Amino acid sequence: MAQSSLDALLKGSSGRNTRGLLRILILCTIAAAAVSSRLFSVIRFESIIHEFDPWFNFRATKYLVQNGFYSFWDWFDDRTWHPLGRVTGGTLYPGLMVTSGVIYHILRFLTIPVDIRNVCVLLAPGFSGLTALAMYLLTGEMAPSPSAGLLAAAFIGIVPGYISRSVAGSYDNEAIAIFLLVFTFFLWIKAIKNGSIMWGALTALFYGYMVSAWGGYVFITNLIPLHVFVLLCMGRYSSRMYISYTTWYALGTLGSMQIPFVGFLPIRNSDHMSALGVFGLIQLVAFADFIRSFLPGKQFQKLLTYMVFLTFGLAFTGLIALSATGVIAPWSGRFYSLWDTNYAKIHIPIIASVSEHQPTAWPAFFFDLNFLIWLFPAGVFVCFQKLKDEHVFVVIYSVLASYFAGVMVRLMLTLTPIVCVAAALALSCILDNFLVMSTPKGAAQAKANGNESKSLRSGRNPLVGIYSYFSKAVVTGSVTIYLLMFVAHCTWVTSNAYSSPSVVLASRLPDGSQFIIDDYREAYYWLRQNTPDNAKIMSWWDYGYQIGGMADRPTLVDNNTWNNTHIATVGKAMSSREEVSYPILRQHDVDYVLVVFGGLLGYSGDDLNKFLWMVRISEGIWPDEVSERAFFTARGEYRVDDQATPTMRNSLMYKLSYHNYQSLFPPGQAMDRVRGSKLPTETPQLNTLEEAFTSENWIIRIYKVKDLDNFGRDHSNAVAFDKGLKKKRAAKKRGPPILRTE
Amino acid sequence: MRFSTAAVLGLLVPGLSAMSVIPIQLELPVDFKPPQVFKNTNLVRNTNLEKGYVRETVNVVVENVDKQPQTDYYIPFPAEVFERVGGFEARDKNAVDKGRLAVDTTEVDSLSGKQYYVVHFPEPLAPKSQITLGISYSLLSSLNPRPATIQQSDKQYLSYSFSAYVPSVYKTETQKTKIKFPGINVPEIAQTSGLKSGSDPERKGSTWTYGPYNTAKVAPGTEYPLTVRYEFTNPVITASLLERDLEVSHWGGNLATEERYWLRNNGSQLAKQFNRVEWTFSAYQQLPSSALRELAYPLRPGSVDPYFIDDIGNVSTSRYRPGTSKKPANLELRPRYPVFGGWNYSFRVGWNNNLASFLRVAQAPNSYVLKVPFLEGPKVPEGIQYERVFVRVILPEGAHNVNFQIVEGSTTNGLPDRKQIFYTITGFKTYLDTLGRTTLNLDVDSLTDEARDSELVITYEYSTWDALRKPITIFAGVLSAFFAAWAIGKIDVSIKQR
Repeated sequence: MAQSSLDALLKGSSGRNTRGLLRILILCTIAAAAVSSRLFSVIRFESIIHEFDPWFNFRATKYLVQNGFYSFWDWFDDRTWHPLGRVTGGTLYPGLMVTSGVIYHILRFLTIPVDIRNVCVLLAPGFSGLTALAMYLLTGEMAPSPSAGLLAAAFIGIVPGYISRSVAGSYDNEAIAIFLLVFTFFLWIKAIKNGSIMWGALTALFYGYMVSAWGGYVFITNLIPLHVFVLLCMGRYSSRMYISYTTWYALGTLGSMQIPFVGFLPIRNSDHMSALGVFGLIQLVAFADFIRSFLPGKQFQKLLTYMVFLTFGLAFTGLIALSATGVIAPWSGRFYSLWDTNYAKIHIPIIASVSEHQPTAWPAFFFDLNFLIWLFPAGVFVCFQKLKDEHVFVVIYSVLASYFAGVMVRLMLTLTPIVCVAAALALSCILDNFLVMSTPKGAAQAKANGNESKSLRSGRNPLVGIYSYFSKAVVTGSVTIYLLMFVAHCTWVTSNAYSSPSVVLASRLPDGSQFIIDDYREAYYWLRQNTPDNAKIMSWWDYGYQIGGMADRPTLVDNNTWNNTHIATVGKAMSSREEVSYPILRQHDVDYVLVVFGGLLGYSGDDLNKFLWMVRISEGIWPDEVSERAFFTARGEYRVDDQATPTMRNSLMYKLSYHNYQSLFPPGQAMDRVRGSKLPTETPQLNTLEEAFTSENWIIRIYKVKDLDNFGRDHSNAVAFDKGLKKKRAAKKRGPPILRTE
Repeated sequence: MRFSTAAVLGLLVPGLSAMSVIPIQLELPVDFKPPQVFKNTNLVRNTNLEKGYVRETVNVVVENVDKQPQTDYYIPFPAEVFERVGGFEARDKNAVDKGRLAVDTTEVDSLSGKQYYVVHFPEPLAPKSQITLGISYSLLSSLNPRPATIQQSDKQYLSYSFSAYVPSVYKTETQKTKIKFPGINVPEIAQTSGLKSGSDPERKGSTWTYGPYNTAKVAPGTEYPLTVRYEFTNPVITASLLERDLEVSHWGGNLATEERYWLRNNGSQLAKQFNRVEWTFSAYQQLPSSALRELAYPLRPGSVDPYFIDDIGNVSTSRYRPGTSKKPANLELRPRYPVFGGWNYSFRVGWNNNLASFLRVAQAPNSYVLKVPFLEGPKVPEGIQYERVFVRVILPEGAHNVNFQIVEGSTTNGLPDRKQIFYTITGFKTYLDTLGRTTLNLDVDSLTDEARDSELVITYEYSTWDALRKPITIFAGVLSAFFAAWAIGKIDVSIKQR
């Protein structure tokens, strides 16, 4: 009875409904798992915005919510990049802020008293649930069996490569962009399969959304044309392709140009030229195709082909000419660094100084993708076996994304979706074959007739199938173990590697209880509460966004890094002697200087460890004033102790880091726990700045820039006088420092 | 759309109407002089400087020298001091249990620049008869740190200026002033000359006494300025604003409290900048400091889920010691950084309580009585002064006939007369409300932590229909959403021939 009632549920039209319901339930469970596995940091710490960039996005969202959309669009921010300011409304991707603003206003309309911070913190986990759904749809287009889609959705839901950018609090553009990326690709596949204007237009719509959300949209802009180009080369031109591509390109380009930051880039920038080129090419191919259907002559066809190639060649030369004359903007530096990993290090140190722009280490692939990385090639192989239009897409995507992920750590994010698709295809292929309990019927017959048909071997119709329960059990069992290990690995990685807000540091006390080091917020809140509202804070650019978001004070440079010279100026001020730095500080109205110092606690991400980048970046602008070599000892070591070079010991950064630090220790025993070296007995002498605040564990040190001396002395004389030292002879003194003129 | 729904539903509820009451100040004629109908036979002023604000208690025997029975006794303050007078209260010393006497305030008298408290006697004072008044109030922000800037681990000194003659509009026969200092270290104490034989003031422990003086011949309003300076190596904690929300939920059986503080230390500022090394050593040795290091906040027994956050998130440097049913819970708040003189620190704390211990069902149908603390706040030995306190009691949606009163006992509760409390009743929309919750807003200036134990009693009516309004609204909303979806799904928009 039970058997038959189960049959009634699983067969026929009600069986279809049951399976549909099951699929929806599974998808909902996957989405719930995706969301909840991203909540480690909220549970462990609190609902807080993480790291650096998210603080800017959060601040911008607050501005949007408070001032409305139009003033957000026109936002000129005079509290960053002092004294230049930043045209923030025109230099950001507004998609993220607008999305959370819309969610916020909907909830407020329903009078749910949600805080904008919580909307921002939980946006990324929420969208990861949607990504799982989009992934199901995309993979469903690749394979007839829905199990592939479900597997892919489960993979993308918990794979660390995606979690790394979408934990709760990681309020960055990628939070929504990966969903948009996957969904746009799904719509594109749908469009090219059906040749439908509707799907093409939907692709363009989501492409426009993607453009508004993340700079990585260029990946779509280049991948779709490449897909079409490869299909054309394979001789698979069809009117479906023409319809979907032209619809997407026309609408999508118009849509993308609505974003002020993108503006006319789609027709002026080299990064976008491939889409335009393929658009032209497809017109020619369509025209040729059209003409060919009317003209039978062979020579004529040849002529036509030559014509097509000629036109294409002419267009290409024109493109090069336009690029050379500068009508079309040359490739951006970040783009070059994709092809030559040393390019950035030589030409643009500021790009190279960001850790996520470094080339990927091999273990990172396994760390971020676990067993998917070795299923990935198998999945690509499965695609080659079928090789329909959509499978070509998977192959192209895999090749490109693998390369990019190898070049830059952060591009692991774009690789992850296709790895999930391919791995799910491979795994579902295995499972679909090995999970079938019943032996194929033909086999039984063949065995039954075994004795009779002893005729020609070739005459037998061999039945390919898996009969042995043992092999089925072994394969299924090992796949299950891999899957379980994958879940364990993902949970472990998420919990240990990707769930730290990095604003709050956690450590363990000897008894195992958690101890929270909250120095960043201590110092930022001190700034927020006890300094004038427009006190300018100078710090290295890493902390710019956090100071803007948490301390709410104007900064000189921040993580936007749009002006290399300004950053180099800060670098110069940090790496020069006080006599050189002080005029720079005065010229930029700096009131406070903030440095991060981990020496007491052994916190290695401090400014002295980043110092060489400051030196390098400023050396790029002032090669004769700042020299990286002078910071290394004769033996080429980077030292901070007695052996440190005079340039090092006189640099502002060194003085600010170690000022007064020695008095915390018994004489002669001051230790720097990060660099593991004993410090000089004498504390560095600061003349032009004074310590204003130091956080509890010394991680943040804030110095106030002294005003000009009342008696017109220079500060070193004034300090010497206050200390009761004899005035130095005027003859030995060098001339008073003159304000630097550019 | 939302507005019209609210309006329609509004018809179904009796009487939720916003109302507000502004404290009235009595108008004075242009050439106002308080009628000289009384004399102060004997006056003793006790000035308490143990905390970060001044607490004064004036006991005065008043005699009617007029021929008519009199009821109104005027107490003057300069207009700029008047704003900082907190918790003003007058009692008949012989009938303390009858509670405080009715008090009014006047507007500024433009000629003398004074502003008056007018004490109304419960029954007119017959000629020649006497009444003993006990007047108490606190003076906020009247202590000045001198020197104004000190080194980080120096002692802090406050100075206080006052008049040897207690300001009064009536003739005073004898008077004296006792000043209680926080300790015996009083480096500067003004000496008087010619007011009294013998040395003046006289010291007894940490209390100094000026007087008694015979001032029958001294014209009312004469001043004899004195200044004292004493050690107070404690933070002078001032809350420029305290917002306090009490949210009542009948469904959840919960009373949620949230307080938002804007604190400032009014003590001496740092002469140099903050020095972390010095602070680490002095904190290690537990030396007294003018910096605010920690606030102890006792909570009612049964308080749960406390939080301590500020503008940028959770403050991890706090501890909560939950109490038992009898022992109060204790929330130890440590600001992110030590708050030195002139520094600010704003934060919010909140917690939940079981509503049952605050709410009673009254005799009348559907009516409830809520008794909640008017002010809680940290309990520190140096005291806290609140420049402005804004209490908001959020009652359930649909509560009406709201009345409130403040519990009076035989001793002062630190609050001013009810007439000086500005209150409004408004609506507050949250959590899918349609009408908004009835909210009682109380706004008081110049309080001190003496008002910690004061209690507020609120009566209101709340029917079953009010309680069911929200579930029904949500049900109707979801139903209409489904219906709309169904109706839209029925529309055929395909482009084909029919």
